[in-house]
Amino acid sequence: MVYDLKSSLQRVMVLCIKDMKLYYFKGPTIVMGLLMPLFLWLAFMIGAKLPLARGLLALIVISAFFTASSITPIVMPWETRQKTLEMILSKPVTIYTILFGTALASTLFGIFISFILIATGLLINLIPHNIVLLILGVPVASLCYSFMGLLFSAIPSDIPADAVLLSTVVRFPLIFISGIFIPIQKLPYYIRPLAYISPLTYFSDLIDNIYNYNSLLNPLVDLLILLILMVVFMVLALVVNKATLTKRL
Amino acid sequence: MKNGKPRKRGIIRFMGVVEAYDLVKKFGSVVAVDGVSFTVKEGEIYGILGPNGAGKTTTIRLTIGVLKPDRGEAYIMGYNVHKEPVKARSFIGVVPEVSNPYVDLTVWDNLMLVGGLYCLPRAIKVERAVSLLKTLGIYDVRNRKVRTLSKGMRRRLLVAMALIGDPDILFLDEPTSGLDVFSARVIKRLLLELKKHGKTIILTTHNIDEAGLLCDRVAVMSKGKIVASGTPEELKIRFGMYTRILVCFDREVDENSLRGYLEGLDIIVQGRRLIITCKTEDLNDILNRITVMVKHNSLRIRELQASGLSLEDVFVRLVKGV
Repeated sequence: MVYDLKSSLQRVMVLCIKDMKLYYFKGPTIVMGLLMPLFLWLAFMIGAKLPLARGLLALIVISAFFTASSITPIVMPWETRQKTLEMILSKPVTIYTILFGTALASTLFGIFISFILIATGLLINLIPHNIVLLILGVPVASLCYSFMGLLFSAIPSDIPADAVLLSTVVRFPLIFISGIFIPIQKLPYYIRPLAYISPLTYFSDLIDNIYNYNSLLNPLVDLLILLILMVVFMVLALVVNKATLTKRL
Repeated sequence: MKNGKPRKRGIIRFMGVVEAYDLVKKFGSVVAVDGVSFTVKEGEIYGILGPNGAGKTTTIRLTIGVLKPDRGEAYIMGYNVHKEPVKARSFIGVVPEVSNPYVDLTVWDNLMLVGGLYCLPRAIKVERAVSLLKTLGIYDVRNRKVRTLSKGMRRRLLVAMALIGDPDILFLDEPTSGLDVFSARVIKRLLLELKKHGKTIILTTHNIDEAGLLCDRVAVMSKGKIVASGTPEELKIRFGMYTRILVCFDREVDENSLRGYLEGLDIIVQGRRLIITCKTEDLNDILNRITVMVKHNSLRIRELQASGLSLEDVFVRLVKGV
């Protein structure tokens, strides 16, 4: 049992490293994971004339969201197209090992970019007052968004752009309803319920609390909801990807 | 022992290292594999022979657990490939027909990746990778991205990737299909070498010569079913009741003018040559009919041969159902 778990984790790591080598520098990852959040942020910064410190917090949140969910949608369609999925599946791995490897690579990407921005914040005296929450919150949120991205990869297509398009259609509106640039209290009353089903709301709220002591919910509640959403997205992603796997082979 | 686990399980039904029972797979209304069963014994080369579309690749994919059958079960070393896929696949290496290595990784990185999936320690991975790359003649290109390799080199890399885990059983789907003579020879030589080291090899091919040369036993597939199986020699003997007669005339002959004399027989006319496949017991009668035909058409026989069927003839008869 321990041996099986150890070798499964070893295989997840091997696949994660493979995904990091192959997909961190792919076009869709750079465009949707790095450039898009950056330009969105710039547009808001200039349009809403946000102070730099406030703006950087928004950038941390949307970068974690976009980077952590940028790789997971494209891996399965890409590997289907390249005919590498069947090669990997003929080795001693299951589809779950492959999916966990991809999710881990995407999560690490989100964590890496987030911590670069957090370090940048230190240079302008943007200091988190709760390091533990920050160290827990960023990985949990990145995992949550990574598994959310993995849901889109279940689309039984061998065209990565199909999964990217679907994920963009879902992810893009979330930026406007999750209290990142516009506080939830200022949103029209009919949109507010949507804000509470957005996974982005709780990370945004958590970051607000970590830096400004200013949040709608208790930060532990934010963290707990992110954890629950992570589990829900993980289970859904594993189930739907397994269900559509036969259409890929 | 392998990976710290016992290699064999103490189950009564465990007859061969690979067992398939009544495998059925449909794609929509098309039955790709229809009730296929076979057992492969340890250390043998087992060939699945058939024309394109016979169901060979699907049979392999079902046997290794990449595809789920609509009915039936497959076992590798006693492990059900669908219930315990990781354990079952830890004993095998697969060279699929259609899949690829990662083209944006180097040859070396591809091998390290697969070695990692078999949980090999780094020193063993490196040692095996060097040895395999040298054996397969692609050591010099180890730092090149796969994208830049020829088809033959990619195929040899796939073989190396299948062997890096030192599997007991090797599955190869059309291993030499579309390869240049040199690459095909390298792979065939390696397969015979692996057999000498006690490896079990299961390969699909539509190349009869390859099957005759490499395989200890052959299963002939047609329209999703195994229509015959046995050693190449057994198959030839089983169809030994048939004889092929080759007659070479002094001039070209017209098929229609010969038909009347050879009614009910399987004949092929090619210029001056006439090829007849017939039951051996009818040989006397047919020779008499040929004599009459020659006389009536004022033909002269330049050459006459009668021989048993080759594996190719057996294959054609089985697949055509004649």
